[in-house]
Amino acid sequence: MALPERIHPFLNRRAFLSHSATALSAMALTQLLGRDGLLAAETARKSPIRPKIDPANPNAVRQPHFAARAKQVLMIFSAGGCSHLDTFDYKPELIKRHGQPMPGGDKLVTFQGAQGALNKSPWEFRPRGKCGKMVSDLVPRLGDLADEMCFIHSLKGKTNTHGPGENFMNTGFTLDGFPSMGAWTTYALGSANDNLPAYVAIPDPRGVPQSAGNCWNPGFLPAAFQGTDFNAIKPLRNLARPAGISPEKDRATREFIARLNQHHLAGYPGDTELAARISSYELAANMQLSVPEVSDISTEPAHVLKMYGADATGNRTQEIKAGYARNCILARRLIEKGVRFVQLLNGAYQVGGEGTSNWDGHKVLKSQYTVHGEVLDQPTAALLSDLKQRGLLKDTLVVWCTEFGRMPTFQAGASGRDHNPSGFTGWLAGAGVKAPFSFGATDDFGYKAVEKVATVYDFHATILQILGLDHERLSFYHNGIERRLTDVHGEVIKEVLAA
Amino acid sequence: MIMSGIIMPQFTIQEQHLLPNLCWMPMPNQMRIEIFRPDVSPAEARGGWLTSMLVCVALSLFTGLARAVAAPVLDLTKLPAAATRKVDFVKDIQPIFEKSCQSCHGAEKQKGSYRLDSMETAFKGGENYTPAIQPTNSAGSPLIHLVAGLVADMKMPQKGDPLSAEQIGLLRAWIDQGAIWPHDPKSVKPLHWALKPVQRLPMPEVMLGKTKISNPIDAFIATKLAEKKLSHAPVADRRTFIRRIYLVMHGLPPTPEEVKQFVNDTRPDAVDKLIDRVLASARYGERWARHWLDVARYAESNGFETNHERANAYHYRDYVIQSLNGDKPYDQFIKEQIAGDAFGSDAGTGFLVAGAYDIVKSPDINLTLMQRQDELADIVNTTGTAFLGLTLGCARCHDHKFDPILQKDYYAVQAVFAGVNFAERPMRRKQSEEREKELAALQAELTAKESALATFKQKAAAAKSGGAPGKLLRPAINARLNEEIFAPVEATAVRFTILASSGQPGIDELEIYDGQGANVALASAGTKPTASGTLAGHPIHQLEHLNDGQTGNSKSWISDTAGRGWVQLNFPAKKQIQRIVWSRDRNGAFADRVATDYRIEAALEPGKWTEIASSKDHESGGASDPNGFLKHLTGADAKIARDLQEQIRLGRAQTTKISDGQRAWIGTFSQPRPTHRLYRGDPMQQREVVAPGAVTALGSLGLALDEPEQQRRVKLAEWIANPKNPLTARVMVNRIWHYIFGTGLVDTPSDFGANGSQPLNPALLDWLADEFVQSGWSVKHVQKLILLSRTFGQSAAPRPEGMAVDADARLLWRFPPRRLEAESIRDCILAASGALDLRMGGPGFTLQRKEADNVDRYFPKEKFTTNEFRRMVYLTRIRQEQDSVFGAFDCPSGNQVMPRRSRSNTPLQALNLFNSNFVLEQAGFLATRLRREASEDAGEQVTRAFQLMVGREPDPFERKESIAVIRDLGLDAFCRALYNTSEFLFVF
Repeated sequence: MALPERIHPFLNRRAFLSHSATALSAMALTQLLGRDGLLAAETARKSPIRPKIDPANPNAVRQPHFAARAKQVLMIFSAGGCSHLDTFDYKPELIKRHGQPMPGGDKLVTFQGAQGALNKSPWEFRPRGKCGKMVSDLVPRLGDLADEMCFIHSLKGKTNTHGPGENFMNTGFTLDGFPSMGAWTTYALGSANDNLPAYVAIPDPRGVPQSAGNCWNPGFLPAAFQGTDFNAIKPLRNLARPAGISPEKDRATREFIARLNQHHLAGYPGDTELAARISSYELAANMQLSVPEVSDISTEPAHVLKMYGADATGNRTQEIKAGYARNCILARRLIEKGVRFVQLLNGAYQVGGEGTSNWDGHKVLKSQYTVHGEVLDQPTAALLSDLKQRGLLKDTLVVWCTEFGRMPTFQAGASGRDHNPSGFTGWLAGAGVKAPFSFGATDDFGYKAVEKVATVYDFHATILQILGLDHERLSFYHNGIERRLTDVHGEVIKEVLAA
Repeated sequence: MIMSGIIMPQFTIQEQHLLPNLCWMPMPNQMRIEIFRPDVSPAEARGGWLTSMLVCVALSLFTGLARAVAAPVLDLTKLPAAATRKVDFVKDIQPIFEKSCQSCHGAEKQKGSYRLDSMETAFKGGENYTPAIQPTNSAGSPLIHLVAGLVADMKMPQKGDPLSAEQIGLLRAWIDQGAIWPHDPKSVKPLHWALKPVQRLPMPEVMLGKTKISNPIDAFIATKLAEKKLSHAPVADRRTFIRRIYLVMHGLPPTPEEVKQFVNDTRPDAVDKLIDRVLASARYGERWARHWLDVARYAESNGFETNHERANAYHYRDYVIQSLNGDKPYDQFIKEQIAGDAFGSDAGTGFLVAGAYDIVKSPDINLTLMQRQDELADIVNTTGTAFLGLTLGCARCHDHKFDPILQKDYYAVQAVFAGVNFAERPMRRKQSEEREKELAALQAELTAKESALATFKQKAAAAKSGGAPGKLLRPAINARLNEEIFAPVEATAVRFTILASSGQPGIDELEIYDGQGANVALASAGTKPTASGTLAGHPIHQLEHLNDGQTGNSKSWISDTAGRGWVQLNFPAKKQIQRIVWSRDRNGAFADRVATDYRIEAALEPGKWTEIASSKDHESGGASDPNGFLKHLTGADAKIARDLQEQIRLGRAQTTKISDGQRAWIGTFSQPRPTHRLYRGDPMQQREVVAPGAVTALGSLGLALDEPEQQRRVKLAEWIANPKNPLTARVMVNRIWHYIFGTGLVDTPSDFGANGSQPLNPALLDWLADEFVQSGWSVKHVQKLILLSRTFGQSAAPRPEGMAVDADARLLWRFPPRRLEAESIRDCILAASGALDLRMGGPGFTLQRKEADNVDRYFPKEKFTTNEFRRMVYLTRIRQEQDSVFGAFDCPSGNQVMPRRSRSNTPLQALNLFNSNFVLEQAGFLATRLRREASEDAGEQVTRAFQLMVGREPDPFERKESIAVIRDLGLDAFCRALYNTSEFLFVF
């Protein structure tokens, strides 16, 4: 029937059912249009694709727009602005001109103000892997996996402030309140595992990033696509059976609810929203079993714990590392179980002064990064190797990113680097990615992206492309605007896609 | 005619090729008349053009001069010759545009902001090369230069085959022959429905069974239903009706006693009376305020990384609740939210600054400018969507793609709000004559006491220096408080220059008083601060803290230079000043960074500074005692002086108390600098200056470029609230409909533009809109009409014929059932348990424990006090931090406007309702209540529980099951279960 077309994707299962026919034919069409939808891009108008959501099972698997290169995502986010110049972006000229002023640098005003001299990294760079990629001694184990990685050295952001920067990398907008990349992904694709949340955000043992919930919130997408945040030490809230209630009583109470609800449903035959509520209690019961199971890493053999560094002890740094390593193991277990989007957070908000709890090394880079490198390197490298050896990288795209890079200079009167959104590094690995490969470049000092500049929009467009999603078409209508992860920007970086 | 903007000359044409320079500026206004006002015939509109062309010829002299100074030289000899035949636009030209140009310059893409699919834009040109087409002058038209490759690297089209010489010849001939772009009737868009005047149609005559429908709403609905061979459902039973009306209008269930009374009320006007009772209840305003707060993206923290709480933002929430409860006319409600400072209701402007605000500022100018643009965009967008259903924000970077909103319009509206700052200001009390008198008397007394005290200080100084003249020194400068008293002087600006300090100097507050004892330095009084520089990277040290009325280190300005710096305050108008108070840290926590060598100057005219005070006449020495002078006085004198000091202190506090109301997060206002249109929204690419205004297609505000700040908002508010504005009333009645039925007649409640939905029942929408305006913009009037209708009062039960053709019940063949919103669920849980605390207004409660630092973090509370059992509208909503139980029920974060909530259904919701401490505790309270109100008998407990929770008796199945559960699992388990039943969580 010809009612006005602005059916809310989540409004009603009946609406869902009546739309399914069209959705199917649209899907068939897109499949005809070839693997990357290139034909569609060039011939058809880029009309929005709003996935049709079944309210009874909002995270049911949905088909991508075209054949996907990866099915799952592991996103590792290093909060605070991780310096590309001390990790993955090797700049011989910076080393050579160490201590000299940066040409034009005296007039630069960055986030905190004036610049001092060019400063080489306190860590040596060495060739790593078979490909010989130069990676610093700060992250040697990650460096050893360079053959698996596709570096994008020419990332360019829009803001040099943490809050907006973290928003931008995680949601595609610098402002608060937009859906996170994981929310977009699960909105588009659902998840293969009903018994676990489709999208899990694993907070760092030290706390959450500076943009906190913005990093995994659904924004204006339905709450079904919210990232669920828990880790090995902070279990999912309200999951456990309340203390003092026996399992039998708990189950009997749940059964009583189901009987009352079924009885009530009889008065509303065919009301699928009511039926969906009943089934949500069944899903919840499944989750009560499967979430603790997946979070319980005590079943992991000692050699695995050791490989990740989850056995590290001795001082505060080692304890943080062990906590982060347990999160890495949890991430692997979630990927193994088919969770669509796993977001692993590395670094927290600012506590105890800047740079202490995250990568925000303004003043004393060396001592602070020594800690952060130690925490990040071994567990993350182990996670990557473990995913590979278990064959999980075949279907999983791994993304490492941060909100911005840092300056090649030290700040005036300090021994650390200021924020720098003009050029920084992120890397991709796993399914759908060309590796080993390095894409784009910053200038001689690593200050600005100059070669094949990749905006954060391009980065996001590429991730969606690997998932079989057209970033120009995946959309949600909100407050008068057909919203996208990439706003009105973004071009897929075709060079980084696996052949 | 007004030439909009300055034409940036892009070309110099070699003199010998200079053809008669006939400038043709397209007339955007005339064009819009043609497109959006069909009452003007195309012929009249063309008449308008002709006039404009004549004016343009005259103006071409000016543009010709401008051209002579510009740079690149074009070799026009390379142009292919113009065709000699008569050219037809549709046959010869349009195909070229379509094939070669429009893939980059059309509806989808507008490279260089240029599009060639409409006459207006094609002629006007893009960001550069304007005007792109000059009729009769192909050699002077950039369009031709570009397709002919005269401009290096810019040969068009850049993709695909270049145009042939023949094609270019055709284009040239077309232009030389006058560039006639015929009006394809198909290309003239009909006026968009929402922009047409509201038209009240007579109520249709429809029968329901054998009776003629008398309620207009039902008649309009029945007409649409009949088109699908549907009709209204039977009337819902009374207990369903009263529960529905309470849940919809109050967000709370009726008490069992209310249900009983209504069910047994046999008076013919029982429903009418019930509706009046419901609308008169204060619970109504609390419920409907929450809806408006969604539209106003209201939350009580700044958001972004620091996410500091806004402790007194709640005044705006209280304002909304009171406005709704008092049925404030909606036009007044609009005006107060945009310009409450002018319309006598300060708290209303909380609307403008209710959104997120990034307090992290930086010396990096790019960042600061973009932040300001984002702040203003938030205000413009929210105003546009909330009141007009127009996505004004879409025109920030380019003309709106779907609606008649020009980029220029966006910046015109931005200019209206350009003086709005995200800050607190005191809410003025209503001044009375009595209070004025009291103030004047107090002030006179204060002045006398101050001069008496000054005498004692001089006496003390004289005593100390042994009577030597010229050595009368004031107490040493200190960190806590310094006062400068000088002869009254007229000034428009005051400058405080620091010449020495430890570290970078800081000032937490600089106060400047006039003869009436008012602090004229306050930003809220319109005074603007500037400084030599501000220490970077410390959100707590901002220039705005200098005169924000807030003291202490964490609200202070600190210079970016060690030992030096200046700050300057510019008053909005000339002031007579006589006293200055300043401090480094009024709270006394920090004693570093104090200005030890300074001078203070005043200027009446820019640049003409006169010193009014300085550090020279202070005693030296660091931590001095402001009361040190007392010890140089005799005992009797010292006592008098001390008393005077105390009286002055109290008198000043009293003055402030009388003149200022409470401080609230409702924004401050200052006269803004000119607003520029920004190329692609980039603040570094300023274009022409734009006067404050509205949407050109809908009218003008007639404001000057330098219009006083407040007047800008007043005029915009009046324009929006004008009964003739076609959007305002329609948008609001649709919101009312949306919140009552779950979906609006237009199901895109904040988008009435071309990209939004068509109204399902346009005649009904217009009837309601007209009724709304006629009633004096009474929201309650419209609500009562709807609540009285059969459409609202009908059963929610599904019927096969309805499910078959309209499963969503958009046409309203039944009342559409729906899940309650987060706030209602929580409120209903509390109401059932009896724990609900109905205290209204004031500061909210929190469900999170705060760890305050530079960056605030919030952690869910697990233990509750009765304060947390207030209605959820009073929850202090922290951005990014959802409540751990009810957030999962699609609770908006307040970061973005939420005109329509999603209604998801997730396992996490089930877990939260089944396992959370909150629900378990309430289940315990409910059990206690049942024992108290229904004895220990399980049967009675079950009855009472059903009455409390779903407003009815249990049926035999429910009774039997329930009694068994109470017996086997206990009353607490039974209560826990009932909180998880569908019927409790839905409105039917």
